[in-house]
Amino acid sequence: MSDAAPSLSFATFLQGRRIRLTPGGLFGRICVALLLSMVCAAVLIGLSGHNPFAAFAAIAQGAMGSEHQIGASLNRCTPYLLAGVGVALCFRAGVINIGAEGQIAIGGAGAAAAAFAFADAPPIVAVVAALLGGALAGAAWAGIATAIHLGRRVHEVLATLLLNFVALLLVQQLLAGPLGQFGAGFLQSPLMPRSAWLPRLAGFDAHPGFLIAILAAAAFSFVLWRTPFGFALRVAGSSRLAGAYAGFSLARLTWGAMLIAGALAGLAGGIEVLGVHRRLIEGFSLGFGFKAVTVALLGAIEPLAVTPAALFIGLLESGSLAMQRQIGVPSALITVIEGLTMLFVLAATAGRK
Amino acid sequence: MIEFLAATIRIATPLALAALGGILSERAGVFAVGLEGMMLAGAFAATVGAWTTGAAGVGIVLALLGGAAIGLAVAFVAVRFRADNMVTGLAVNILSLGLTSYLMRVLSGGAQPVSMHLSPLAPWPIPILSDIPALGPLLFAHPPLTYLTVLGCLGLTLFLGRTQIGLTLRATGENPEAVFAAGANPLMMRMLAVIACGAIAGLGGAVLSLQQVGTFTDGMTSGRGYLALAALIVGRWTPWGAAAACLVFGAAEAFELRLQGFGAPVSSYVIQMAPYLIALAVLAGMGRSSKLPAAIGQALQRDH
Amino acid sequence: MSPLLQMRGIVRRFGDLCANDNIDLDVQPGEILGLLGENGSGKSTLMKVLFGMLRADSGSIAFKGKLLDGHTPAEAMAAGIAMIHQHFMLIDAMTVTENVMLGWPEAGRVLRTKEISSRVREASKRFGLYLDPDAQVGALPLGRRQRVEILKAILRNAELLILDEPTSNLAPAEVADLLVILRRLRAERKGIVFITHKLPEVLDVCDNVVVLRLGRVVGRAPVAGASRGQLAEMMIGRDVSAPREVDAAKPPGQARLALRDFSAPGLLPLTFEVRAGEILGVAGVDGNGQFELVESLSGLLPARGGVLELDGRDITRSTVAARMNLGLAYMPADRGQKALVKGMSIAENVMLRDSRRPPYARGPLLTPARAAAKTRALMADYDIRARGPDSIVARLSGGNQQKIVVARELDRGPAVLIAHQAAWGLDPGATRFVLDRMIALRDRGAAIVYVSSELEEVLAISDRVAVMAGGGFAGVMPRSALDMRQIGLWMAGRAA
Repeated sequence: MSDAAPSLSFATFLQGRRIRLTPGGLFGRICVALLLSMVCAAVLIGLSGHNPFAAFAAIAQGAMGSEHQIGASLNRCTPYLLAGVGVALCFRAGVINIGAEGQIAIGGAGAAAAAFAFADAPPIVAVVAALLGGALAGAAWAGIATAIHLGRRVHEVLATLLLNFVALLLVQQLLAGPLGQFGAGFLQSPLMPRSAWLPRLAGFDAHPGFLIAILAAAAFSFVLWRTPFGFALRVAGSSRLAGAYAGFSLARLTWGAMLIAGALAGLAGGIEVLGVHRRLIEGFSLGFGFKAVTVALLGAIEPLAVTPAALFIGLLESGSLAMQRQIGVPSALITVIEGLTMLFVLAATAGRK
Repeated sequence: MIEFLAATIRIATPLALAALGGILSERAGVFAVGLEGMMLAGAFAATVGAWTTGAAGVGIVLALLGGAAIGLAVAFVAVRFRADNMVTGLAVNILSLGLTSYLMRVLSGGAQPVSMHLSPLAPWPIPILSDIPALGPLLFAHPPLTYLTVLGCLGLTLFLGRTQIGLTLRATGENPEAVFAAGANPLMMRMLAVIACGAIAGLGGAVLSLQQVGTFTDGMTSGRGYLALAALIVGRWTPWGAAAACLVFGAAEAFELRLQGFGAPVSSYVIQMAPYLIALAVLAGMGRSSKLPAAIGQALQRDH
Repeated sequence: MSPLLQMRGIVRRFGDLCANDNIDLDVQPGEILGLLGENGSGKSTLMKVLFGMLRADSGSIAFKGKLLDGHTPAEAMAAGIAMIHQHFMLIDAMTVTENVMLGWPEAGRVLRTKEISSRVREASKRFGLYLDPDAQVGALPLGRRQRVEILKAILRNAELLILDEPTSNLAPAEVADLLVILRRLRAERKGIVFITHKLPEVLDVCDNVVVLRLGRVVGRAPVAGASRGQLAEMMIGRDVSAPREVDAAKPPGQARLALRDFSAPGLLPLTFEVRAGEILGVAGVDGNGQFELVESLSGLLPARGGVLELDGRDITRSTVAARMNLGLAYMPADRGQKALVKGMSIAENVMLRDSRRPPYARGPLLTPARAAAKTRALMADYDIRARGPDSIVARLSGGNQQKIVVARELDRGPAVLIAHQAAWGLDPGATRFVLDRMIALRDRGAAIVYVSSELEEVLAISDRVAVMAGGGFAGVMPRSALDMRQIGLWMAGRAA
């Protein structure tokens, strides 16, 4: 077929339906991939002259040792989970969205702008308006990439990737100008108005963002499996020919998946700004986009399963500083684990039935 | 003006080398999204090599090997295991980013990255030619890897156009089945092309660390691999075309540096967007006319 | 004179199917041998065995007196056998010379482009190929591309050329040119195997003909003494000359599907109607516009001109979904990628084209339980054998997969059904089942366009039979006045 989808291997991966708990199934393969990457990480730690088990223990301790640490870990997971769910939906539709990083950044800026605009509103209104502002801004940014991709046939990877750089610079520009705090010495906004702060749960440092993220994961899992729209996404992602034959508009599905992903990423940005930093900071989303992709793949591009995947990566990262401090293993190891996990998951799941 | 042009060439050089590698990979039918990671690995390996031995030559050899190692990972996962090219490229970029900063710290034995300072490679002015006024300093007084880049363009053009292997490589990106029917092995061809891509892009990273900055810092390629990817598409998968596109991106960045010096009214952040916006605009402008290698990104059939 | 090629007792099975059943075949130097047979008669299998792409279960192959056994295509090529595939093994983005040089040791490691280019020009002149060495292959018409393949074979000193359906993609004038080229090759003492369905070409150029049917040699004759009629009968066999007795269809009603000068890329303007209660069978060799016809009727290929009406409504530019809503059902030939999503369950495939309608959905939600119940009912009704509605389609047999498509498209109670290769890969029982269901649909007043390259099926089901050739209809005849010889002639060429 001359008009076949360009990436055949992904289609096969996508056909894995809901995760089946069998060793030969998708879930089993992903577990093996995860195990392999942890073994590699252990070897790397060993080569640096440290005890891998002590390092892993330090990570666990650092991530879950106290209520405070658990809260910090949950906060850490939140943007990965939200953006990861969006990226997973895009994958399901056969669209590779690498733009979460930019969408999160723009979403954060949108949320900050809305927070300042609603500074005098009652807290509930201010928070909702700010989060909505973030989601809309993120969706708009994803929309630009989609328009370039569909309208001008620029591959979506390039369109989203290049726009990431533009988005980061745009946020810097905003921080140097209208949204910035004058004389702070580095690029950041003034503190958000208190009315727009996400509350912190008593005892924990956790903000309610993680709950929002889990709700989003559950909701979009439902959309994916229980609505005609989700069905259409899955069909089109498995085979574009079948999607066209079924009477779906492939362009409309791409728009749908991208806008949802953009909105979720933008929401993640807003939650970061309102819940964690309480201001807009230059580069706060650095690397988040790729982590969203990692988490989506690790979660077998199934929104519900992205939750443990995001939790896993979030915990690793959150515990990595303790590992670095106590054992002396550099926290950059976590990025290595993420890269390895992605590679192994790809190798273990591509092109298989 | 001369300074501006010289800066353009300087900025374009690592991009161009990476793009040359990318051309090999994409002409053989594998998307070169991993260029960023290959460059980074090369930059790191070059710095370590040059710093530990004191010989730049060792650094360059290690850069080739470091980039090739990342290429090998792509070759296995994307070609041998038939995973999606694009996502595999992203994965190795993350891996490379993590591995280089991890090793930087392991080398220092602590949490701080080891500091490796080198004096950047000195220019090798070409006798006589470099004495030509204006043109001489601009074109004939560059550090060695810049000349190598120009030679690379020439060499790659000849390789692709004039050798049996080059012909087979291009055919693999267009119609692997026909390559198989002609008695060659498209799988091996693709794997080797991706590994070679890694080595050359690694050299591009070495330009950055050995020739320009004189050290390695975390994530120092900062998106240059992606620009190189855009450049090779804009340059329509030809070495000279890609090099020209790199010069345009380089000029955009050099222009920004100049403007910053003058305290121009336009914010530097907006100008820094220029290379990316130019890349997007040109890609969008090419739109339907851009002609990808016909079989790019397509997994090979089992029996090949 | 010793034969160039001697194949003896070739047997090749695929599961239960015996694709080659004890076949002998000889080719002499300077002989053009026609290998004749319908789709699935075993021609391609035999040639793949010869070229080393498939292994024979038993039998022997001798080429120039040497035994070939367990050989690869590369070894076959080195021995002097060249295969010209129906789908050319060419690089469209490259020049003729580059294509010739690809994988050819004589071109040198550092390519001697100039030298090869002049050799291309020389050989092109000598054999009347009219190829410009610097032309880009993708820009050449199909006939010229095929000559690039022939040129590759000639320059590599091939002594036996296998041409698989070489004329199926060619315009009539190009066919004539090809036959001239083949005669020149014969004059150079090359052996040629010419695989085809088309009788005029066989009569025109071949010295001898071997006819295969159902994996066996059913005829062997020098062309000199044979007539078109004899060959057509040999190829099609007698089974089809006595089509199944079907109740004489009720007189058809008004037109449900109407085409007026309707055309699409690859499809010449067509004007015809299919009436309520009528099955129009479309026969013909694959690749003569059937795909373009069904895809443009169903809305997946844009029309180029003319008008298409369904029950009097103009649907020339309607979307796939709009056509479906008006009652147009479509069973595509591409089961694996288009008609089914193989990684999904039976239930999901049953609802593939109706996912927004009850019982599969209600308002904004899918209703999986109802969908499963509906699927179970359809599975019972259409005898789809699987564990349950959740079974993954990829694990089912081809017959069961096709029944899912049939069940889905028929269950909607369509006004018009377009079926393409609807019984492909099915055993006779399943084929009968599918055809009976379609006849029942017709009797309820639907109009059906039944497109297949299996002539038997078409004859068994159709009220009228059209034959496609060269992107258009070569002719149409009612079932009541069936003339097998005429159908064979239509299939064999364009002339009506």
